[in-house]
Amino acid sequence: MRSRTLKLNPFLTLIPALFVAGAAAATEAKVALTADILGTNPGVNRDDNTDGVMLNIVEGLVGYGEGGTVKPLLARSVDISKDGLSYTFRLREGVTFHDGKPFTSTDVLWNWKRYIDPATKWRCLPDVDGTNGLKVISVEAPDAQTVVMHIDKPSALFLDTLARTDCGGTGMLSGASVNADGSWNKPIGTGPYALVDWKKGQSVTLKKFDGYKSPDGTGFDGYVGDKTPGVDNVTFIVVPDAATVKAALLGGNVDVAQALTSDVAELKSTKGIVVLTPSDASKHAILFQTNNPLFKDVRFRQAIAAALDLKQLVGFASDGLSAPSNSAVFGASPYNDDIQKRSFQYDPQKAKALLAESSYRGETIKLIANKRAPMPSSQVALVTQSMLQAVGINVEIEILEWATQLDKYNSGDYQLMSFSYSSRLDPALSFEQFAGDKTKQPRKVWDNPAALALIDKSKTVTDPAERQKLFDELHEMVLADAPLIILYNGLTAWAHRDRVQNFKPWEGKPRLWGMTVAP
Amino acid sequence: MLRYFLQRLLWSVPTVLLVAVSVFALIRLIPGDPALLILGDRATPETLDALRQQLGLDQGLTVQFIAWLGHALRGDLGHSILTGEPILPLIFDRFQVSFAVVLPTVALAGLLAVPLGTIAAWKQGSATDIVTVAGATLLLSIPTFWMGLLILLLFGMRLGWFPIVGYVSISDDWLAGLVYLVMPISTLVVHEVGGIARMARASTLEVLRLDYVTHARAKGLSEARVLLHHVFRNAFGPTWTLLGLILGNLLGGIAIVETIFTIPGLGRLLVEAIFARDYPVIQGCLLCISLFYVAVNLLIDFVYPVFDPRVAVS
Repeated sequence: MRSRTLKLNPFLTLIPALFVAGAAAATEAKVALTADILGTNPGVNRDDNTDGVMLNIVEGLVGYGEGGTVKPLLARSVDISKDGLSYTFRLREGVTFHDGKPFTSTDVLWNWKRYIDPATKWRCLPDVDGTNGLKVISVEAPDAQTVVMHIDKPSALFLDTLARTDCGGTGMLSGASVNADGSWNKPIGTGPYALVDWKKGQSVTLKKFDGYKSPDGTGFDGYVGDKTPGVDNVTFIVVPDAATVKAALLGGNVDVAQALTSDVAELKSTKGIVVLTPSDASKHAILFQTNNPLFKDVRFRQAIAAALDLKQLVGFASDGLSAPSNSAVFGASPYNDDIQKRSFQYDPQKAKALLAESSYRGETIKLIANKRAPMPSSQVALVTQSMLQAVGINVEIEILEWATQLDKYNSGDYQLMSFSYSSRLDPALSFEQFAGDKTKQPRKVWDNPAALALIDKSKTVTDPAERQKLFDELHEMVLADAPLIILYNGLTAWAHRDRVQNFKPWEGKPRLWGMTVAP
Repeated sequence: MLRYFLQRLLWSVPTVLLVAVSVFALIRLIPGDPALLILGDRATPETLDALRQQLGLDQGLTVQFIAWLGHALRGDLGHSILTGEPILPLIFDRFQVSFAVVLPTVALAGLLAVPLGTIAAWKQGSATDIVTVAGATLLLSIPTFWMGLLILLLFGMRLGWFPIVGYVSISDDWLAGLVYLVMPISTLVVHEVGGIARMARASTLEVLRLDYVTHARAKGLSEARVLLHHVFRNAFGPTWTLLGLILGNLLGGIAIVETIFTIPGLGRLLVEAIFARDYPVIQGCLLCISLFYVAVNLLIDFVYPVFDPRVAVS
């Protein structure tokens, strides 16, 4: 009996050992989320935070490259007809959904039909059904690997709309993502990670999709490029408090987290912590209400622009992590040329002279700001107040809660406002964020008809060189009209434990692919 | 007793109705448009109008209120504007989480503070009394967010005894769930002990001065018997009421602790809904909290005669 047991022992011990070896090989990363996701239906119940998680799970036909240009993602290539009205997407072969089903043009048709159904409540429906101008007339699938979309007028922004993160990248989903009655179930996409579990208010768990087929390319390139997943399991943990996030990171309870810019210096000097501060396409700005009698006068607006030492202001507001940029075109964009780098010049004497010419007579101006982290609104307001005071402009700061400020922004009910615009990767959309007819949309700060015509043109012109000219002209006009002062592009500070390698967030969102962790 | 019960129950109806009307009106008086918050800076007049219509926000306030109240009376609190989730199960889930924090907090705080306050009163003017009063005042003065962070940094980060982030429900795994609850409950207990101990001390002192206590002592009863049988029962009433109030207050008022310790409770849900102007969720949460408050106070009132028979007689 004894000898028999001994004989079997090597086998008995080997089997669990194999399991242990297998388990040990599985890697896991914990990423802190500042808020819970709003839903798992791409482009429907969403915010930036939700998009950041979902874009690891789903992919669209096209996606943004690092500079904001749109590139094929699930498509192998995109051909645009000479008249600019037909887009032919040739799909990549061998792509499968997380449920193992192959991805074909039939899926694209099914997804498109679902997206344009008002019952889906897709956020970007008004951008493709003619409400906001552009209309997709029809979508065809000539064969299993080809999809053709027809639009009603030439557009430089159609592909951009399909790639937009707030549209969920127009992510392609398996039919099993919805229930038999058409209601939402869960996202079964083609992305490098699959959804395992969402515990509301607590965590979102993803696992590596072993059958993932990455687009061609090497290294990181926005939402395209090499997207091969490295970590087996990733758990996003909802940690709303910044102090708790920091403690959890330092205590090793999370591996990756967003950090406050004010904590960057301390975290950089902490052993075992790596800090990243990538900039993005969001814009921090000071808005003028040009319908206000005082601000109608361009000399007054220019006086304010000349009174601001932008280097000092931006240095303070960003904790020394950003540099000023007055351009609507973000730094990494291929359209950010030398002309876009032209800026307002700090000149207190000029400011005083312009002030004397203007109708300003010492009135107190109200500057509205908020304290919503990580936006630097209140910090910008504080320095602006001080700098304007130095040239004789009296400013009173009013701190409002975000929803209240947004209300005032939307109705144009302010004189000066410290505001942050969310990312727009295409310059035409970035200019359009603040330019438009004030009588229809009071939130717009710039209603110069010549500028609006140029922006409209830039939405239809597809030639990059021609677009560059338009954007350069627009930038010069912004500097001359000064309807707002764009201060700098935003940045999101991230920190991770040094066991994490190759974590590269982009546009304030965590990209899980490419990342590896030490077991 | 039954009449008293029914009377108290009937009185709670206008209270809850008043809360419902106030909540509905007040949240809409605050500036901020949920449709605008959802659409952000991509909103156009057309998309805003469409979304407001879809959310029913284009209707008059009276119409919205009647519709909401009608549904609420049928047990349907509507759907979240932000996530589209049905509100009743959402609140029920979050209520359970908060309740798992609040109930042990009040129980532990009561068990610690009542004897402490009673002994301090019994030993009035002694070192025990001075230390208890000073300690209670100090604990009461420390904001919960500060105490929470200190506990988190010491026991979570430095000593590593408890997990800093994450949450496990005690219904899923009671032992793991308990581990996650230690720090938040400790934070709240430390804060609440101060107030309860002071109340217990004050009411005990009041009773100790009464003639019947002197009489009991003159009869030759032991101090322990005087304290437990004659003083405590009469002195505990106000503290009992306070415990009920704390229970009700904490349910909606521990958002800060829930935020620090990543607990997905009702308080956090409410605060997040306020920032997002998620009207149906705000209304649902406040209605739930007020109902709970009313229920707890009813319960407190019904149990009160156990400690003070005069209440039952009256």
